[in-house]
Formats: sequence, structure tokens, C-alpha cells
Amino acid sequence: MEDLMKERIEQLIDYIMKHCLWQFHSRTWDRERQNREILTKTKQILCQESVEPADRLDRCHWVDAVVLAEAYRKNYPWINKLDTSEIAVLMKGVHERLDYLTITGSLNLELTDQHY
Amino acid sequence: MPYHEFDCSTCIPERKKHAVVKGPGETLADALPAGYLNTVPGSISERGCAYCGAKHVIGTPMKDVIHISHGPVGCTYDTWQTKRYISDNDNFQLKYTFATDMKEKHVIFGAEKLLKQNILEAFKAFPDIKRMSLYQTCASALIGDDINAIAQEVMDELPDVDIFVCNSPGFRGPSQSGGHHTICIAWFNDKVGTVEPEITSDYVINYVGEYNIQGDQEVMQDYFKRMGIQVLSTFTGNGSYDDLRAMHRAHLNVLECARSSEYLCNELRVKYGIPRLDIDGFGFEPLADSLRKVGLFFGIQDRAEEIIQAETARWKPELDWYKERLKGKKVCLWPGGSKLWHWARVIQDEMGVEVVSVYTKFGHQGDMEKGISRAGEGALAIDDPNELESLEAMYKLKPDCIFTGKRPGEFAKKIRVPYLNAHAYHNGPWKGFEGWVRFARDIYNAIYSPIHQLAMLDISNDEIPTDKGFVTRRILSDANLSDEIRNADNLRQYTGKFDIIPDLRNKTAEDFPYLRQDKLEKAI
Repeated sequence: MEDLMKERIEQLIDYIMKHCLWQFHSRTWDRERQNREILTKTKQILCQESVEPADRLDRCHWVDAVVLAEAYRKNYPWINKLDTSEIAVLMKGVHERLDYLTITGSLNLELTDQHY
Repeated sequence: MPYHEFDCSTCIPERKKHAVVKGPGETLADALPAGYLNTVPGSISERGCAYCGAKHVIGTPMKDVIHISHGPVGCTYDTWQTKRYISDNDNFQLKYTFATDMKEKHVIFGAEKLLKQNILEAFKAFPDIKRMSLYQTCASALIGDDINAIAQEVMDELPDVDIFVCNSPGFRGPSQSGGHHTICIAWFNDKVGTVEPEITSDYVINYVGEYNIQGDQEVMQDYFKRMGIQVLSTFTGNGSYDDLRAMHRAHLNVLECARSSEYLCNELRVKYGIPRLDIDGFGFEPLADSLRKVGLFFGIQDRAEEIIQAETARWKPELDWYKERLKGKKVCLWPGGSKLWHWARVIQDEMGVEVVSVYTKFGHQGDMEKGISRAGEGALAIDDPNELESLEAMYKLKPDCIFTGKRPGEFAKKIRVPYLNAHAYHNGPWKGFEGWVRFARDIYNAIYSPIHQLAMLDISNDEIPTDKGFVTRRILSDANLSDEIRNADNLRQYTGKFDIIPDLRNKTAEDFPYLRQDKLEKAI
């Protein structure tokens, strides 16, 4: 079961890494915000919860989340068979893995530069 | 760390950290080359300088501007005309370039008077142009010429002109990327917010990091206008100086080349609360997703879908014709900064080629993160390669084609590897649905060129066949195709025009009903 979850997380991560750009903003704090906002909304959309963007900055995160959720449903049909608690666990794993690859485990020395 | 050490660079051990191959099971946390560092002494870099990055890459595509360099004439000459960023005002910014032509005596006695005289002469020579960008170079920076003061003096004397000063001499950074940063911040600090624009739509964007190479910007602008979106400014391809002073009134920044201009979007987000949406204008699927996202942001997704469906139906059969003939061909993505990640995945998925190497001359580690992720396993990723390393990589990888700049492109040809100009294109535009087909056609033409096939033969070494006659690209490309593919009714070669830009420029308000309708509703 754990292996299956891990495999599924890697599939979803692979999609993000190959298709998206939002996870690669240039600083740690930027990436933390992007990953958190977009993946939280993606999870809410997949769980069919309503998402109300707070402002236009938040709306931009929502846009990326909508397109990602649609891609997940289309490319990984198994996701449509999961219940909301399973999706929540799955997306928590995706978030942790993405944070590791792009922030905490990243070899990019520029992430902590104080200047843009 | 799976570093790759070039045989030719064992004498420069620092270079080892600048190339990696991400192997099976490895992630970005295992494989990422060093980047955006000073070029290692002894390594003949292909990079440009910070002045070039500011002026040539970003400043000069602005179309209604006198671009003047304060320095030796060579600085200006070497940043003139080699990148085909066209404009719809008869290419003013490509046809003319301006320099103060500093000499030794100016280094000794100062060149501020010379600068002022040149600025006044330039405005006099082109009385219809009232905007200027003024670039510092190494020579004028080192002697301490105060170009801001001179620009202000001129603006005081000529109230109808406006001058943008860019203090990015060549030494200000490890590569042209330092210049991108400097000019973005300077433009934001000095010019954004100084003009109030006319807003004609409920949907207003800045299109940022787009340089209109052979018309890319005009292709994308057409899509946006068909969706009813007002493109308030484009930074900077085909962009107007005063439009770019009004960037603060947009609702969304649509960012194409994050490498060169994310700085500007980030500042606009912090000060004016304008969100930054990173997009890919290359490739059917990424472009469709990009248009979809912009549509979603404004609540007009249906308009994006109309365009995606129409364009895909029109051009996909032509893309697939080339894909069938490019399958398995090995290519190297060796551009400057952003194109390695714009293209790395989609060119494999949609054209069938295999990306065996990505490199960047001036990219940061963030660009390599994107490029390596998208290229997949096994691709040789090189930061700031020198000429010998590029040669060694080509001998080792044996690519069928490389996409790079004209300097490495020339020595690639010498070892019989066809190259396409990744910066200025061959038969662009390459953005947009049709543009992506044009790129595929250029790759096809490069790889299957009969002339190139002949060049592959070394007359001092190879046996020259005398029993073979005339061949065409089609004979070469179709030799191993099945009859089913060769004769497929649903596939066809590119059927577009030689130059697709005039038709875009000839469009009228009637061609953009959403834009007209939104404008009318706004007026009411």
C-alpha cells in the first residue's frame, strides 16, 4: 500500500516537473508560497470543495490549480476513484515531495539569496 | 553528484561542477550543475556581457526608441541587428543604432560633452522619435561619466523627450544575465507608473519576457486579442516605450522568458499586486494550457478553447507529418537561457525527437532545474560550456541537429552537425501553433538537407559513391517509413505562407469581435 502511494506520488510529481513552471520561482519563500497555494487548491478541486480565490494574486494560484487538477484527472484516471480522504493524503505526500525537490533538498544555491 | 568531466577540461578542474547527467532514479536533489558564476579563467566562454544583456536582449526590441550606447563604437556594432526582433513600425530599432564613439582622448578628458552632443544630434536627425534609451558601457562607467545627469540636462532642454538610462556596463555581472536583471529593475524604478494608459477592455495584460523574434509577439498578441484581451504592453518585443511606462495598470503579467524578466514581474507583484503567470508559448499542449490559464484568470476560458480547437485542427496534421519523419532523431538544446526548458519536454512529445543534451550559456541554476526536469533522464546538462566542451559533446553524442547560437553553430557545421539558430530562428516565428510547425519544418529541412548529406562525406577519407544520383529531402526522410505513414491522407507538409506576419498586421477591429464588444460595453 505504501509502495503504491509512493508510486502515485512520483507520477504526480513527474507531471508537475515536466509540465509546470510555477514550482520553480527563484527564491525559497517564493517556492514555499507557490507550492502551498497551488497544491492546496489542487487538492480542494480534486475533492470537489469550493475554492474562492481571495484576490487576483490568489486567483492566479487557482488558475494553475484548475489546470493541474484537470490534467491529473485526465492522465491518471485512478485518481477519480479515490475518496476525499485518500486524495488528501495523496496530495499531502505530493506537497512534501515537491517541497523537498524544489526547496529543502534543492541544490540551487540561489534560493536563499536575499535579492531577486 | 553525477558530474560529467570533459576530457578537454581536465586541466580546468573547476569546470567539473558545471556538467551533470541525471541518471535513472536520480532527482534534482542529486543532479544539478553549478550556474550563474563567474566564468572560470582559461575557459573560453560563449557568454555575452552585462551591457549586451541589457541592451541587445532587452532594451533594443523596444520599437519607437533611439537606442544609444555611450562608449566605443564596437560595443554598439556587436549588439546591432544580429537578433531578428522585428517590429510593426518598419523596424526602426533594427535599422538604426547609435553610439557616442568614445576614443582614447575621451577616456582621458571625459566624454560627457560628447554624450550630450550625440543625444541632441540623434533627436535632431529623427525628429519623429521622442524617446531614447541610453546605455552605459565599461569605458564610460570606468571614467565615471554621469550619464544620468546628462540625460536630465537634455530632458530639461527638450521637454517633449524622455530618456531611460541603463547603468549596466559589461562588467556588471558574470554574464548577460546580470544585465537582464539591471535593466528590469531600472525600468521598474524609473519608468513604470509614469504614464496613465487608456484601458479599453476588462481584461488587461502585460506580456513580459517576449522579444518578437521573427514575429513571435505578434502571433501571441493575435491570440490574446482574439480572446478580447488588451495587451497593454509587451516587454519588450515590438513594445512601445510609453506603453511600458504604463505597466502598472495591467491585471495580469503573462511571463514568457522568466530568465530575462522575472525580476520585473516580481517587482510589479510586490508594489502593484499584479500576479505573475508563467507560460510556455511553444508547443501545442503547453500553449493550449497557457491560453487556457489566461482565459480562466479572466473568466473567458471558452474564448481560449475556441482558439485552441481551431488552431489545433488546422495545424496538428502538419505537425504530425514532421513528427513521423523526425522520430528518434537526436537533438541538443543549446540556447541561451529559457528555450532549453521551454522546448525540452514538448519537442520530444510533439516532434518525436530525443533531447540528448541541454546547455545554457548564462542561465541560473533555476533554469537548469527546469531544463533537466523536462529533458528527462540521461541528457547531458552543461552550464556555460566552452567551445572545446561543446565539440567533445557533439563527437560523443552524435546529434542529428543542434539548436544554438551562431558562434557554436558555425563550429558545429565544421564537424558536419546541422544547426538551427535558437536565438534568431531560421524561418520563424516559432511560437504559436503554426509557428511550432514552422520549427518542425526547419528541423526537418536541416536534418534531411541533401547538401548536408553530401557534406557528411570526407573526400580525403571516405569512398565517394558514383552510382547515386539526385536525391531530395523527401527521398531521404521517407526511405524507412511504412507505406501507411508515407501515404497517410491525414498528414501533410506545412502549407502556410512564407511570411505569416503581414496578415496579422493587416487585421482590423472586425477581426477581434470580443475586443470590440468589450470595448463598447465598457464605453456604455
